[in-house]
Amino acid sequence: MDSKRNPLETGRIANRPALLEVKDLKTYFYMSRNRIAKAVDGVSFSIQENETVAIVGESGSGKSVTALSILNLIPNPPGEIIEGTIQLHGKDLLDLSKREINKVRGEEVGMIFQEPMTSLNPVFTIGNQVAETLIKQQQYRKKAAYKKAVELLERVGIPRADEILKAYPYQLSGGMRQRVMIAMAMSSSPKLLIADEPTTALDVTTQAQILDLMLDMKEAYHSSILLITHDLGVVAETAERVIVMYGGQVVEEASAEDLFNDPLHPYTKALLESVPDLEEDQDRLTAIPGKVPPAHDFPKGCRFAPRCPFVMDKCLAIHPELENITARQKVRCHLYEGER
Amino acid sequence: MAEKKEKLLEVKRLKTYFPLKKGAFKRHVGDIKAVDEVNLTIYKGETLGIVGESGSGKSTLGRTIVKLINPTAGEIIFEGTDIAAFNNRQLNSYRKNMQMIFQDPYASLNPRMTVGQLVEEPMAVQQTLSKKERKEKVLDLLDKVGLTEEAVKRYPHEFSGGQRQRIGIARALTLNPKFIIADEPVSALDVSVQSQVLNVMKDLQEAFQLTYLFIAHDLSVVKHISNRIAVMYLGQIVETGPKEHLYANPLHPYTKALLDSIPIPKVKRERKRTKLEGEIPNAADPPSGCPFRTRCPFAFERCKVERPKMREVGDEQQVACHLYPE
Repeated sequence: MDSKRNPLETGRIANRPALLEVKDLKTYFYMSRNRIAKAVDGVSFSIQENETVAIVGESGSGKSVTALSILNLIPNPPGEIIEGTIQLHGKDLLDLSKREINKVRGEEVGMIFQEPMTSLNPVFTIGNQVAETLIKQQQYRKKAAYKKAVELLERVGIPRADEILKAYPYQLSGGMRQRVMIAMAMSSSPKLLIADEPTTALDVTTQAQILDLMLDMKEAYHSSILLITHDLGVVAETAERVIVMYGGQVVEEASAEDLFNDPLHPYTKALLESVPDLEEDQDRLTAIPGKVPPAHDFPKGCRFAPRCPFVMDKCLAIHPELENITARQKVRCHLYEGER
Repeated sequence: MAEKKEKLLEVKRLKTYFPLKKGAFKRHVGDIKAVDEVNLTIYKGETLGIVGESGSGKSTLGRTIVKLINPTAGEIIFEGTDIAAFNNRQLNSYRKNMQMIFQDPYASLNPRMTVGQLVEEPMAVQQTLSKKERKEKVLDLLDKVGLTEEAVKRYPHEFSGGQRQRIGIARALTLNPKFIIADEPVSALDVSVQSQVLNVMKDLQEAFQLTYLFIAHDLSVVKHISNRIAVMYLGQIVETGPKEHLYANPLHPYTKALLDSIPIPKVKRERKRTKLEGEIPNAADPPSGCPFRTRCPFAFERCKVERPKMREVGDEQQVACHLYPE
């Protein structure tokens, strides 16, 4: 938590070129003839070089599908990216052939998931899997690959790395497995690391270690991180900029500082209030009534309107657009009309 | 705090060991000490929170107290009676007093039963109420946990996670229990729904004078709902105390580290952290002496040879650590 975390104050953010630019992304899932789940419904955002951006939202908000769409990992059928562009360094990832996108996945964008057990193959040793990545993606020879694998594991803080190479995934703890995943994801020093709930399955003390490791790797490799999480605490500890998603759309976007000190959207406010406060005693928690609307049946107007304490007639009829309130903060809410 | 509180449950030197077997003849080669000499007192009407990381034994402790798992040794004294050695038949009359709420509302409800049947089932087993009275009670309970009457005829899969957890709570309350063990009841839920369920649990505690044992890994949730807190590490309780003291002034190095690792949803620049290295050791091969010594930044010689006893420090706070005088 030092000065390099807050580039907004130093004005660095404006100078950084965009690394990833997502525009009007729509990813739909065709469930049955008349049911279309609009999991991601018109999402736009960008990530600068060497920046940590968090997408936060509850289950069903579309945050994970957004992440999977970036690498074109949406299972088709039933899913399909029906609209939008995803540009990495100016190159549209949605136009790439299967072979080209595979190359991007290994070399330019690394990805880690919530449950490392399902991302690692249970019947191969750790060494086998790390070395295979190096052989396939970076044309290492077998012997050199194993040597490099030891280095990579040591870099992510795995003790006795040469022994761990011979271990199978089930023999490692959750934290260790996630370290292995990070080592593999960073092996080609990618420009972007997408981390989908990387610490959700871990204990708090291990979570703190893994988050530190991710930020450390980001600095070391000058990469950017797109962190997908439901945990606002994790967001506050790591992210520079935050995107709040609800009902397949971005409802607020701001620097971490603005978002936590001055949240605008009623959903963001309610979300922050529903986390039990460690420092103050509360008799009752603020709960958001109701539940996230299903992606195949969104309300006509604002998607948060049925749960919103400030709902107006207009909210039920007209769908609000995502608008800039200040140069750095965007919100999708009728309450802020005319404040621009 | 001065008034004399009435004990509901007392656990004395409780041990739950799982034997490790090896070879063709299933030779007994050692034990996993999931719960290792735990002493606890729970007073009427309070909520005792148990926190710890995975592998600390907190769930096994909860399950041993309701005797879903039989203890290896020790006493479980519920309202003056030691139930540790009771068999299933003897337990029958006690079971209605202690109920459990589980973490996964998807796995703990029979998918082939309607919500009405699910909530009624415990009463049908105990057979103290007539059919009509049972139906009325079901409706009353569903209303209390915030579900509508139409829920009765629907099946669990038609409900969201938060609503299912409400069904689980209604089911646990059917027999008017005095004591409820909630094992990670909100950890599978989204934050906005989590707070709904926590509020319901608090309301019901007041309405029915319930005593809770609340097991969770999330320290902010535990703090919100508990009066007193016990911190577990590797099968042992390392610190207990009223929540105000424990959070403001944690004594055990592990409690400190645990509190320091919680990510706080506020943008703060300066935060000092006691960082923990490594991970929780294997419960089949725990360290000698203090269970935490392998990760403790303050460990010294004595921690290696002698297991620290619980000692009283200040106002009702107890800690098992050699850093404090006995």
